[in-house]
Parts: sequence; C-alpha cells; structure tokens
Amino acid sequence: MKIFIALLSSTLLLTSCSKWLDVKPQSQVAATDLFDSQEGFEEATNGLYSRCSLQAAYGDELSFGFLDVLAQNYYINFNDYQHYLQTSIYNYRDNDFISRKDTVWTSLYNAIANSNLILTNIENGKKLLTPVDYGVIKGEALAMRAYLHFDLLRMFAPSYGNNPSAPAIPYVSTFSNKVTPLSTVSQVLTLVLQDLNAAKALLKPVDPILSAGYIIDYPWNSTSTTAPPTRSTEQSNASLFLQNRRNRLNYYAVCGELARAYLYMNKQDSALSNALEVINSKKFPWTDPGDFTDPNPQNVDRILYKELLFSWYIPTLGKTLANRFAQPVGLYLDQVSGANLYQTNGVGGADTRYKEWLSPLTDANGQWLTVAKYKRDPDTNRHPLLAPALRLSEVYYIAAECSYDANPSQAMGYVDSVRFHRGIPDPLAATGKQDFLNQLLAEARKELYGEGQIFYMFKRLGLPVTSPSGIGHPATNNIFVLPLPDSEIEYGGR
Amino acid sequence: MIFTTLGGAVPQTQSAKAKTIMVMRLTTLLLLIGCLQVSAAGFAQKVSLSEENAPLKKIFGEIRRQTGYAFFYNAQLLERSHNVTISVKDASLEQVLTQCFQDQPLTYSIVNKTIVIRVRDRKEEPALSSLTDTTPAPIWISGRIIDEATNKPVEGANITPKGLSRGVVSNHDGAFRFPLEHGSVLVITCIGYQPREIKTKGVTEFTIKLTPGTKDPLANMVVTGYQLINKDNFTGNAVVVSGEELKKVNPQNLLQSLQVFDPSFNIAQNNISGSNPNALPSINVRGSTALPTGGGAVLSRSDLSSNVNLPTFIMDGYEVSLEKVFDLDVNRIQSVTLLKDAAATAVYGSRAANGVMVITTKAPKDGKLQVFYNYELNTTGPDLNDYHVLDASQKLQYEKLAGLYNSNANTSQDQLDAAYYDKLQNVLSGVNTYWLSQPLRTTYGQKHSLYLEGGGASIRYGVNLLYQTSPGVMKGSSRDRYGLGMDLSYNPGKKLIFRNTLSVNQVNGVESPYGSFADYVQMNPYYPKTDSLGRVLQAVDNWKTNVGGLGSGNGNRATILNPLYNSTLHSFSKSAYLEMIDAFSAEWNIARGLRLRSVLSYTKKKSTGDVFDSPLSNDFYFYLPNQLTQRGSYTYSTNDENTFDGNATLTYNRQIGDHFINMALGSNLRTYTTDSKSFYAIGFTNDRFTNIGFAGGYPAGTTPGGDYSQQRLFGSFATLNYAWKNKYLLDATIREDGSSLFGTQNKEASFWALGLGWNAFKEDFLALSPVISQLRFRASTGLTGSVSFAPYQAETTYTYYANSWYSTGVGASVNTYGNEALKWQRTRSYDVGMDLGLFKDRLIISPRYYYKLTHGLLADINLPPSTGFESYTDNLGDMANRGAELNFKYAAIRNKNWNVSFFANLVNNTNKIVRISDALKNYNNKANQVQKDSLPSTPLLRFQEGQSLNMIYAVRSLGIDPQNGRELYIKKDGTHTYTWDANDIVPVADNTPKVMGSFGTTMSYKRFQLNAIFTTRLGGKDYNQTLSDRVENADPRYNVDSRALTERWQKPGDHALFKNISDLSTTFVSSRFIQKDNTVDLTSVYLSYDFDKAFYSRLAMQNLRVAFTMNDIAHWSSLKIERGIDYPYAKSFTLSIQTSF
Repeated sequence: MKIFIALLSSTLLLTSCSKWLDVKPQSQVAATDLFDSQEGFEEATNGLYSRCSLQAAYGDELSFGFLDVLAQNYYINFNDYQHYLQTSIYNYRDNDFISRKDTVWTSLYNAIANSNLILTNIENGKKLLTPVDYGVIKGEALAMRAYLHFDLLRMFAPSYGNNPSAPAIPYVSTFSNKVTPLSTVSQVLTLVLQDLNAAKALLKPVDPILSAGYIIDYPWNSTSTTAPPTRSTEQSNASLFLQNRRNRLNYYAVCGELARAYLYMNKQDSALSNALEVINSKKFPWTDPGDFTDPNPQNVDRILYKELLFSWYIPTLGKTLANRFAQPVGLYLDQVSGANLYQTNGVGGADTRYKEWLSPLTDANGQWLTVAKYKRDPDTNRHPLLAPALRLSEVYYIAAECSYDANPSQAMGYVDSVRFHRGIPDPLAATGKQDFLNQLLAEARKELYGEGQIFYMFKRLGLPVTSPSGIGHPATNNIFVLPLPDSEIEYGGR
Repeated sequence: MIFTTLGGAVPQTQSAKAKTIMVMRLTTLLLLIGCLQVSAAGFAQKVSLSEENAPLKKIFGEIRRQTGYAFFYNAQLLERSHNVTISVKDASLEQVLTQCFQDQPLTYSIVNKTIVIRVRDRKEEPALSSLTDTTPAPIWISGRIIDEATNKPVEGANITPKGLSRGVVSNHDGAFRFPLEHGSVLVITCIGYQPREIKTKGVTEFTIKLTPGTKDPLANMVVTGYQLINKDNFTGNAVVVSGEELKKVNPQNLLQSLQVFDPSFNIAQNNISGSNPNALPSINVRGSTALPTGGGAVLSRSDLSSNVNLPTFIMDGYEVSLEKVFDLDVNRIQSVTLLKDAAATAVYGSRAANGVMVITTKAPKDGKLQVFYNYELNTTGPDLNDYHVLDASQKLQYEKLAGLYNSNANTSQDQLDAAYYDKLQNVLSGVNTYWLSQPLRTTYGQKHSLYLEGGGASIRYGVNLLYQTSPGVMKGSSRDRYGLGMDLSYNPGKKLIFRNTLSVNQVNGVESPYGSFADYVQMNPYYPKTDSLGRVLQAVDNWKTNVGGLGSGNGNRATILNPLYNSTLHSFSKSAYLEMIDAFSAEWNIARGLRLRSVLSYTKKKSTGDVFDSPLSNDFYFYLPNQLTQRGSYTYSTNDENTFDGNATLTYNRQIGDHFINMALGSNLRTYTTDSKSFYAIGFTNDRFTNIGFAGGYPAGTTPGGDYSQQRLFGSFATLNYAWKNKYLLDATIREDGSSLFGTQNKEASFWALGLGWNAFKEDFLALSPVISQLRFRASTGLTGSVSFAPYQAETTYTYYANSWYSTGVGASVNTYGNEALKWQRTRSYDVGMDLGLFKDRLIISPRYYYKLTHGLLADINLPPSTGFESYTDNLGDMANRGAELNFKYAAIRNKNWNVSFFANLVNNTNKIVRISDALKNYNNKANQVQKDSLPSTPLLRFQEGQSLNMIYAVRSLGIDPQNGRELYIKKDGTHTYTWDANDIVPVADNTPKVMGSFGTTMSYKRFQLNAIFTTRLGGKDYNQTLSDRVENADPRYNVDSRALTERWQKPGDHALFKNISDLSTTFVSSRFIQKDNTVDLTSVYLSYDFDKAFYSRLAMQNLRVAFTMNDIAHWSSLKIERGIDYPYAKSFTLSIQTSF
C-alpha cells in the first residue's frame, strides 16, 4: 500500500498542477499535439485534400454534380432519380438543391478553417520543418484558402463583370469562432490573388515539380500486364508527402489558378503571363491519341491524365461515379444534345472526345449517350481515379482569351492547339470578339464536360446558359448567384 | 529547499488560485509523509527503563513509546506524584508500573491498551476538590457501574457531567466518585457498551447498568465522506439511512429502497426496460439540470438520458460508479447518507450539483471470531396486469371490422374470404395462444452473504463472500454476482489506525434470447406456436391485404415471423465485468481532536460484451439469396477502466467551553481512464458455431471501434461546522477544483457554501415546553458545479482519415471547434427548512423548500458555417428547479410490546427552462419536421423558455367527432380543423407530478415486525402511448389492446374516445391521449420475526431473524397504459434468514 502513498506523493511532487490536468486525448489528436512534429503538419496538409475530396465537395458534387446541371450539360430523366430536376430549372428554393449547396458551403469553409489552423501554427512550427516542407505546406495552405474562396465566390456572388462592388462572401483568414464580415467581389478577388501570389512565391524555390527531373507520365501499374515501361518520376521522391504533386496545389496549379482568378477580375495581362508560365514550361505533355483511344479498357486514358495540372485523388469513389453516370438513374445526354455539343455534323466529325466520352445506349425510351469520361471497367487502369480540377487545355483557353485583343490569330492558335490534339483538323475561324468568345465557350464545353467549370464560364462572360439542344436561359443573377445558406444569413447576420 | 524547488516549478502565469492548490497539495504531501513514518514504528511488550529521579510524565512517555499503551489521566493528579528512580531491563509492563506507583498517591489500571491513572485512596485524598475551589458546595456523586447482562463491575467507564469534557473513570470494582459542579446529567461511555445518560435528580448514589454492544456508531451522525458531523448541529440537508433499514424495504435493490426514504432521489420510470435485471436506472436528485447537446438528433421524450444528472456516488471516501452501487450487497452497508443542498455537498465542488450519495460499508469490529450469515430466497413473477390484449375470436372480429377482408385492387374477395376462413378455422378448432406468457417465467434467485470478523484491539479482520443470482422474469435473462472482500485493520496504538479493504467482484449479465417482449404482445392469438409435430414454426402467416398505409413493398405482403423461433437458436447476448478495488486508509490521531485521515483507492474494472445473432434468426429471414453469406453477426466489445482516487483530510473536532468546532481541511485527487474497443463481424455458416472465429468477415466499409479517454481531477477544500451552546449553528465550506474536463482557459473552479441554523428548542423559553421537544431552523446557500460533458470538448481535435489515405499520405482534419473557455455548470442553490418534534419526538415534521438555479448549461451554439463549423459547445442556458419536501413521522404507540409508527415523505419538484440557445430553439423546428415525417405518434422532446423540461407537446384536440369518427383539432389561432399540422403543436400538459413520495407504517409487536410502504405520484399528466400505438395506430394484422375493439367509434352518434375502427390512417400526437397520472404502488411489505435467545443459543447462534419481503406487489393508476414494453415488470418475494455465530 505504501506504493500508493509513494505514487501519490511523487505525482504531486513531480508535476505541476495545471500541467497534470492538461490531459490529451488519445483516440483523437489535439491540435496542439498534431502541430508538434513535421509529420503532423504533413498530415494536416493531406487532410485538407482528403476533406475536399469528400463526395459533398470536389469528390463528387462540385466536380460532377450540380454545377454541370446548372450549365445545362445533362439530360434529366423525368423520374428524377438523383433529384436534379428542380436544380436544372434554377429553382433555388428546392430542398435538394438547398441541402447540396449548403453542404458545399459548409464543407469548403471547414476546409478553409483547416487551412487557417495550419497557417496559425506554421510559424511556431518552422523550426520543426525542413525548408522544403515549410514552403510547400505554407504555400499550399495559402493556395488552398484562395482556391476555395475563389470557388465560393464564383458560386455565391455576382461575377466581377456584373458588379465588382456587390457584397459577396466572407474571406476568412483566421481560425476562430468569430463572424467574418462579407467582402465585396473585388475585395475577395484581391485577397485571393494576394494569397495565391504569396503561395507562388513560397512554392517557387521548393516545389519538386519545378525540378527538371520531375517527369510526368503514367504511373507504372503492376496489375496491368500490358503496361509499357514508363518514364514517370512522380512517385520517386523519398518522401511520400512530396510525391504526386499534381494531386496537390503545386506551383503550376497555383499559376493556373492565378490565371483563372486574374481573368475573372479582367486582368488579362497578368492572367496571360501566368498561363504562359505553365504553357512554356512544357511540363505537361499532350496525351498521345493512341492512349486516349486505346481499345483495351485497361490501357485507355479516359481523362487525359498527363494534361492535368491539379486533380483530386478519389480512388474509392469509383462506384459512386458509376452510379452518378449510370443510365437511366444518373446524369447523361440525349443523342441530339451530344451531337450538338461535339458538333459531329460539322467540325467535330472526328472529335475523339465524342467517341471516348459518350457511349451510345438504347433503351425502351430511345437512344441515349452515357458519360464514360470517368468509367472504370475494370478498375485497373493506367491512372488512379481522379476528379480533374485544372487542366492544361483550360490554361490554353485562358491564354487564348487574354491574347485575342492584342493578337487574334495567336489567340485562335492557342484554341487550335487543343483542337488538333482532339482530332479536329480545322482551324478556328472567328468573326469578331463575340463570335470568338462563343466559339471558345463551345470548345471549352467539349473539353471540360462533366468537370464543373462551364457554369463559371457562362457566368464570367455573362452569356445566357444554353443547353446543347438549344434551350436558352437568360443571363441574370437569379441564375448566376446561388443564395447564401439560411444558417449563414441567420447566425452571421448577413 | 523542497519548497523553493516546488515553487519554482509552478509557471509564472499561474493565478493565485493555483498557488492555493499548490500549498494545499504540499500540506497533503507532508501529512502523507508523516503517516508513512509513524506507520513504520514498531512496538514491544517488554519494557526497559533506566531513569533517575524522573517525573512520572517522562516515564509514561517512555513506556508509551516502547509499548504503544496510552495513558489516561488528569494532568493535575500528576502534580501530586513523586519523581521515580527505576532501572529495569525487559521487564513486563505490570512490573514496571507497580514499581512506578509504589509510594505514589496514585494507582493505575489497564483497560484495553490504555493505562488509566487515578487517585489511590479517595477518602484520604481530597485532591479533586481543588478542581472545584471556586464552587462553594459541590455535591459528591458516587456509584457503581455494572454490566447489564452479567452484573459484573465495569472498569474504565468514563463518567462525565454533560457539557463538560472532563470526567472520571470507574475503578476495577466499577466504582467512581467525584464532585458535581453544575448540570444534572451524567454521560457514561465505555468501549464495548452503549453510551448512557443519567439524570441525577438530586440523587448522589447510583448503580448504573450498561448495555453491552455498541450502538450503530454512525447513528445520529452525518457522514459527508470527509468528516462526521453531529446531525443536530448540521445545517446541510442530509438524509441518513442505515443499511438495515434499506434492507427492510427492498433486499434486492438498494437504490429503489433509498427512493422510499427520500423521494427527491428520483429513479426515472423506465417503461421500456421494466424489471430487466440488467438495466441500470436513471437517477436525478431534486430535478433535472441538463440539456441534450451534440448531434442535434431529435429525441423522443423517453430517450432523454438522465445520466448526465446522476448524483456522485462516494463509497468509504472514494468515488464509485452507478453500476458499483447497483451491484453492491446491501448487507455490507453500514449507512447511506444522501447529501442534497449546497451546505452538505459543497465539499465535492465540481461534482456536487446533482447531489452526493455517501455509502459507508461495515468495518470489522474487535472481539472473538464472529460469523454473520444471510440467506435470501427470492421469487420473481411477471406482472401482466396492465396488458389487455384480444383473444382469438375477438381478434378476428376486430380484423373484420377494421376492413382487412374487404376486397381491393390487388386481392379478390374470394382470396380474402379464404384467408378469413383459414383463420376462423383456427379459432374454432380452439387455437388461442396466450403469447404473452411464452417468454416469461417465475424464477427463484438466491443470495448467500457471509461475513466473518474478529481480531484483537490492534489487528482486526473481516472477510465477506457473496453469491447472488438474480434471474429475470423473461426466460434466460439473469444477472449473477460473485464477490469476495477482505478487510484488515491495524491499530498499533491509540493514535494510528490503518485499514485496507480489497474486494473482487464478478458480475455476469445475460439478456433473454427471447428478444423483445413487445414482439409477443402483438402476436395474434389464433396463430399456433408449433406445427402438428411440435416444432416451433418460423413464419406463421403471410398477409396479402391492401389496407391503406399498411404493408411493405409490392402487393402489401407481410410475413409474420414467430418470435419464439429465435429462442430455439443459439443466439446470445451477454455482458460481464470483473472489478477489483483496493482501498487503503490511514488515520492518525495527532492530538486530542486533531486527526489526519488519508484514503487511497485503486479500481480496475474490465467489462466485456458478447452478442451473437444466429444466421438462422428472424433478423436474417428476409435476406436475399446473394446475401446468404452475410447472415449471422457477432459483436464483441471490451472496456478497461482504471480509477485512482486519493484524498487526505485533516480534521479538528473539539469543544471549547460553549464552542463546538468541527473543521476539516483536505485535498482530493482522482484520475479515471477508460479504454474501449469493439468489433463487429458477420457471416456465420450455421447456428452451432457461435464463436467469433467462425465469422466470415467484417461488413464492407466498417472499421473496428475504439475509444480512449482520460479525466483528472484535483481539489482542495476547507470546511467548518460550528455550534455555539449547541444553539446557533454555522456551516461554511470552500472548495477549489481543477479538472481536465474544463477548457484550457478555465482549468480551475471555486465553489462554496454557507449554512446557518438555530436550535430553538435549546433556548430557555422552549427547554421546558411539554409539547415541543425539538425545533430547529436551517438555511443554506451555495454554489456547486457539475461537469456533464465528454472529455476533450474544450479542445480542438483532429481525426484521421484512417481508411482513406490521400495519394500523398494519411490526412487529418479538424472535428470541432474546441471552446477553450468551456466551463463547468454552476448551480446556485438555496435551501430552507425546519425540524419540529412534538411530544417527546413522537411526532416529527420536517418541511423543506429549495430553489436551484443552474447557470451555464452546456448548449450547442450555432455558428455561421463560414467559420468552418456549424456549432460549438458553450455554457449557455439556465434551468431552475424549485421544490418542497415534507417528512412526517408519527410514533403512534410506544410501549413494551407494541411499537407502531407512521411516516410520509413527500416531494414536489418544478422544473423550468430559463434560457436556452438558438440551436435548441431551432431544434424545435427540426422536431416538427421529424414529427411529420417519421415519428408522427410519439410526443418529442422540445424546449421552450419558461416551460418545464417535462412538458408534453402535441396538437390540442377536441376529441372524436361523433358524426363521422374523425378527430377534431384546435389550430394555434384557435380555429377548428380535421387536419393535423405539426405547426399547431403547443405545450399541452406537464408530466411533473404535483406530489411524489412514499408513505407507510412500521409496526412491531414483541419479536414481530411489519412494515408496509406505498409510493405514489399524484397530480401529473402523461401521454398514454398505449392508446396511440396499440389502439389507434395499431396494425390490425397484429394483436392490439382490447380497447381497439371495444372503445372505437363505429357508427354516427357514438361518443367514443377513439376514432373510426375502420380508419387505418396514422394518428398523430394530440392532446386526446393526455391522461391524468395518479398512481399508488404498494412497493414493499416486510415481515420479520426475531427468535428468542433460548431458541438460538441452542443452535449456537447469537441471533436469528427470519424475514419476508414483498416488493412491487400492487399498482393502482388512473393511467391505463402497458408497462414494461420490451421487458415486463415483475413482483418479487424474498425470504431471508439472518444469523450470526
């Protein structure tokens, strides 16, 4: 029994009282414990991407869900199995839509809180981190904060072109339970650009993707017997944390995002210079048409893997996506719309994307086109399942849009670069700026189909949202501005 | 040096509070070290002395050091002694003493381990008169003390005039003599005898008989867990009940017994679990003080867990769990003290707000080996008086009236007629299965409780053994308890007592394989339970009806499965725990009245749960062919709990003139860890292989569960109980608590209490009153706390995406916003009361009134989601509880043979939500939605400021329209409608009873004793769920309450309480089902007989008592409701035999 007395006295002797009361959880990790090591910072950074890759955010909804429904990219079955019918007619009071967009708002701001918590702790943790990790983690946390705010802005506020001084969204840059007031559209964009530029500066000296030895190619796939030898070095870094840079906000992804944001703010020079930085780096090779149209389902590269600057890693969502695009319960296209979309009766007669991404299917109600862009059959493929977030072709389109005023032929040349790689031999011929923009939009729609970007483009350009079958919806803020969640209005005093 | 070092270790930023704790902690430490050293000293019986001309006092000191014998004497006596020269080696104590007292005017005697010094020859020695020089004419009192049983003189008894601390001791002839200065009452105390008080009434020569045996040492004392306080001088509100009394009320369930003695200790009605022996009760003391947080899941009223309101349980100085108390053998209990108001509980600081239940177990006494044995035979039978179901022919009649055999689109009239006549054939052939009795039984449980104790004055031991089986009334369910305890106390001298208690307990609980009782209640009586060969059928019927709203899937088929089938399989659901507790205490009587006591305890509890669901069971009947490999499941869970609880208390207890002081200064430290793990596996091949090793795998997408949490508490307190002339009373307490549960910004909290009292009957103007024998007023107020939240809510924590790695490694993401400012709940309480005793305390009335305002209830605070979080937990919300308690005792007859008394304990508690957060207000809207969508017929828990937590919310109803049998509702604006709308839901009735309590009688005639106790609940209202679920919403394809046939509306003009019998639409919550809840239960009847000495001596026994107790025998209620939904209620009868050798 004296052991107990000894135990008690030694406990009392050796520990100071409040330290003794400071009990740390073990089945969860206290924030203060996590940021006590380099691994902790790395895990928190990975956590940002895991958080955003959930189905409610970029893992499904924001990449393949309601944003493309809003862009009128899908035919909605009258049975409305996935409850998008009201969304497609812009009924923003529909419960399904409200719940989806509110969850997006919550998820993205939660990820922003995660970023802010990393940024709060990074300076104290600087001594724990290698210079590379410090630059990468701080850079990516800043870039992520900007990336998410920029998407929230593009959803929940009027476009810059429409009203730059309209109250938009809160730009949250601290981790706290205090309410952040709304900023205007231009204020948000300024902050987005500020964070992205800071991220770019931090990543520039340290990001492994910038080294000449970082070669982008298909990963070697042990299960595929026919896989050719690969030159990829994307997984050769000794640190797992520094591999697969294109699944995280790497230097070029930040450049691409800067190009997007500058263009959104109508700062074409800065947009162009960032776009050209990506294009001129020649880091991202065009996909070999042979790989894109490979008849062997194990070898076909359906998403143009090597051209992705940034994508979300979602290996477990194969079944969810299969469901998402299954016919008749999912999102798909009718034949006429598909043909219109890819202009198969015009320049797109040989467009490889039409063939590879839309596969015909006949049922009792007619002939349809199911979306095969994300098909995984079998699941072994040349690349893991990804949700594309930013691809090379979009950077070309940005460069094209930004250089048209100064040099229309060069602008069209940028668009043609994409077209040629997709099997369209005819060069683009635009008659004036508006026609160019319309054609650019049509091209982008072919390329970025089912990637959640086209709605933003309609909105930025202020063009009526027209379905491939030709039904137009006037360009108004009733369509373009999603309402803030009720809880945000009520508890944030918006 | 040590102090400096320690001081330096405390961070600079710490507040003054922390320093206080620091100092208290150091005190504790030093005291503990002191304990350690004293315990190390040894004692010899032989004495070696070599002194020259030494004063006796010095020699006494030396003898005491060597032998451990204490000396008892009046210091003034020693002034008359001569100095002594002595030189002995290894002499016996007697030799040395004889030598010392040669030629002294003093002599000695040895009583136990005490050497009593007194004047050698009183007649020649007027020594004592010098004590009373100031008193002109002292009266000399003399007498003899004898043992009542043996008539032999009692040596060493203490005779003290009441009110004085000094007295004299009887000599070896039992004689004593001394001058009485003032006062007229003598107090005689002696170890081994009951204390006595004698009034002198002018007599100067006495023969005083002492009764052997000690009276309950804790009688008339309040045990706060840290100190003992005289009940008469205590201003706090405490109810003290002896183990013996508890046992008489209910030998099987200690908690239920306690409720009889104090209805404020309220065990929530559990209509779902009934008398399931494995169901732990929910308890609150003086009302509920918590709101639900987290998740925001909508709760039905019966889901509101009262566990956050649990009082704190303290056993022998350390905190124990509810389950420990639930499984404790009542025979081990010396007494239970329930502390309720702030003055009584404030020493427990942050754990005090919900009341404290202090349990003292029996400590071994000295003397020769004694064996106590207690045997109980317990018979339990189900109580089905509240179930009224239809018999076979009535049921079929009801089905016809409900329209089950009316043709419809899917089924032709011919098919329906065929189905009807099939059933009718069963009815006519005499099939009338009483399904209710199928899973039930009458059981016999037994308890053997053995306790043996013995030892001498210095070492005492006790060993207790327990074997108890508590089979439940549902076949196969049981809770078996095995216990072994060892108690050792070592008493090396007057000054030190060590005690160590080790107990090991194993409890095995088994749930009935028959499943839920509700499944049997709804089986149709015309179904046979077996086929013609006596095999239990699995599927007994297959309905094809197209009745609106009923049936599942296409064609409205409903396959009826026989719940009995499950019982033929090898499914099981078991839980067990093994608990080891070691408690060590050391007590050091430093000086007169000054005592240091330290208790250290360590508890380890390992629990396991095993649930196997056979692949053949009804649960998997509807699995599709491709799911066959997924049938059968096994859940294994384990939990390992470790608790260390230590405290040290320094008490000072002394009477100085008219001042009576009882002070305590102490500190307390506790750590608790729980580590649980669970696995769920599926896919069993057949019913015989029940081991988890035969499982096929884990369900896709599931992971093993695990949780680890730790809590730490450190507290220091000071408390004072003061009385002046036993008339004016004061209690004051402060406590400082530090807890790991608190937010990082608020790691420490202060609590306090103050109580004042006035013993008016001790005033002169009442002292001689022939009517009033007791009159006391008390009032107290204070601030206590409770921490009813899970650990780590105050901290921002990360969770790993363990089962979905990102391509660059595992990720972790923030769970919740940790509120670093999170605080404990603070309860400010006020309590006033009076004790009135009339006619020599034959009638005692004690009314009490209290008011408790709990501030800072934990509540979810909504955030705009742009903060990244939708809510966080904060202290926002206030709840008030007010109430009155009335205790009434009347001793109607008190004479040699007869003793008849009556008692009533009544309480009333009103609960009011004073302030709630927006999140909870929002919850009400969510509840409306749920009420509409999924739970239309159960009133849901809702929160409104100004309303009670027990309020029932529903749409007001005007009843059934006699014209058409439809229900007529009142909308919020007062208009009438036939359409139910969730937005019209308003508070309709309060479930709180106006009066709740117990009353009864105790009678004894010679050696017989009879107690009868009733409990009651009056003036409340309740929602009769049976009427809603089993009369109106009942699926007519299943058996229903008989009122569904007899009391529903059938034709225009019927004034019925229930809607049209053929109307099968859903009935929503409405005030129509609110009924008065006036209930009286005959809770306990106890009859005992003590055999006379002549009889039990022949059996070599020291006593023998046979007792018979009946519990929960009768229930009368205005509310006709099915009680015990998943497990029926039971009546129990216990025969117990109690003896000792």
